Amino acid sequence: MVCALVSASMYAPMSVAAQDAAEGENTATEIRALEHVWNEAEARNNNRALDLIFDNALVYVEYGKVMTKGEYLLRIRTERPHMQQVVMEGITVRTFDSAAIVVGIYREKDVKDGKVSVSRWRFIDTWVKKQAGWLLVAAASSPLPR
Amino acid sequence: MRTLLLVLLLVCVRPSACCAQGASDSDAGSKLVALENLWNQAAQAKDMVALDRILDDGFVYVDPTGRLLTKTEVLADVSASHGMRFALETMVVHLHGETAVVTGVYRMEGVERGKPFMRRNRFVDTWRYKNGFWISIASLATPIAF
Repeated sequence: MVCALVSASMYAPMSVAAQDAAEGENTATEIRALEHVWNEAEARNNNRALDLIFDNALVYVEYGKVMTKGEYLLRIRTERPHMQQVVMEGITVRTFDSAAIVVGIYREKDVKDGKVSVSRWRFIDTWVKKQAGWLLVAAASSPLPR
Repeated sequence: MRTLLLVLLLVCVRPSACCAQGASDSDAGSKLVALENLWNQAAQAKDMVALDRILDDGFVYVDPTGRLLTKTEVLADVSASHGMRFALETMVVHLHGETAVVTGVYRMEGVERGKPFMRRNRFVDTWRYKNGFWISIASLATPIAF
C-alpha cells in the first residue's frame, strides 16, 4: 500500500509535466498550422480568412513601418499584384500558456518593372489565445543581409 | 549604485498580487512603459542584474540586421558595447490579458569604426505577466528607413 502511494505520488508530477509538454506541443502544431493558413490566405488575397486569424488590434511592422489590421488587409487586397512568392524557410514556436512566439525566416521574391529581387527577413510573430481562438496580435520582421 | 536604483525601481513596478487579474489597463500600461524605460537605462548602464530581471530566460531578440540572439547573447552584447546611447522616442502599449505588445521608435547613437553614427529603429517587444511580474519574452528591432 505504501509502495502504491509512493509510486502514485511520484507518478503524478511526471504526469502533469508530461501533460504540459503535450499541451505545448499541441499548441505549437496549431500555431504552425495558423502560420500556414496566413501564408496561403495572403497568397490568394483571401482577406476573409485573414480577418479570422488577425486580432482587431494587430500591429504589423514591415519595412520599418507600422500598420494596423485594416491597413495591412487593404495592402494585401490592393497592392500586391507584383508579388511573386513568399517562402518560409523554417520556424520555431515557443508557447507560454495563452501566448505563443514564432521566430523564423522567410524569403520574398519580388518582380517589379520586370526586375526580380530576392530578400530574406527574420520575423517574430506573437499569437494570443482569446475567446475566438488563437489570434495574431503582432508581427514584425527585420531584413537579413543579402 | 545605479544597479541598486534600478533594482529598487523594478521592485516598485512589481504589481501586487491583488492586481494580477484586476489591474486596469492604464496601470499595466504605465508599468510596461516604466519597464521599457528601465530596460533602456539598464542597457546603457550595463546593469546586468536589472536586465536579467527584465528578460525571460527564454528571451529572443532579432536585431536590426536580422541577427537572432538569446538572452545570454544579448547580455554579452550589452557588456561588450562601448559608449552607446539610446533614446526612446515613442511608445504604444497594446494589452491582451497576460500578454502585452509594446511598439515604438528608439534612436541609437555611438561610434562605430571610429565614426559617429545615429540610427532610428522601430521595435516590437512582447511581454508576459509571469509570477507577478511583467517579463519580456521577445523583441525585434528593424531600421525605419529602407
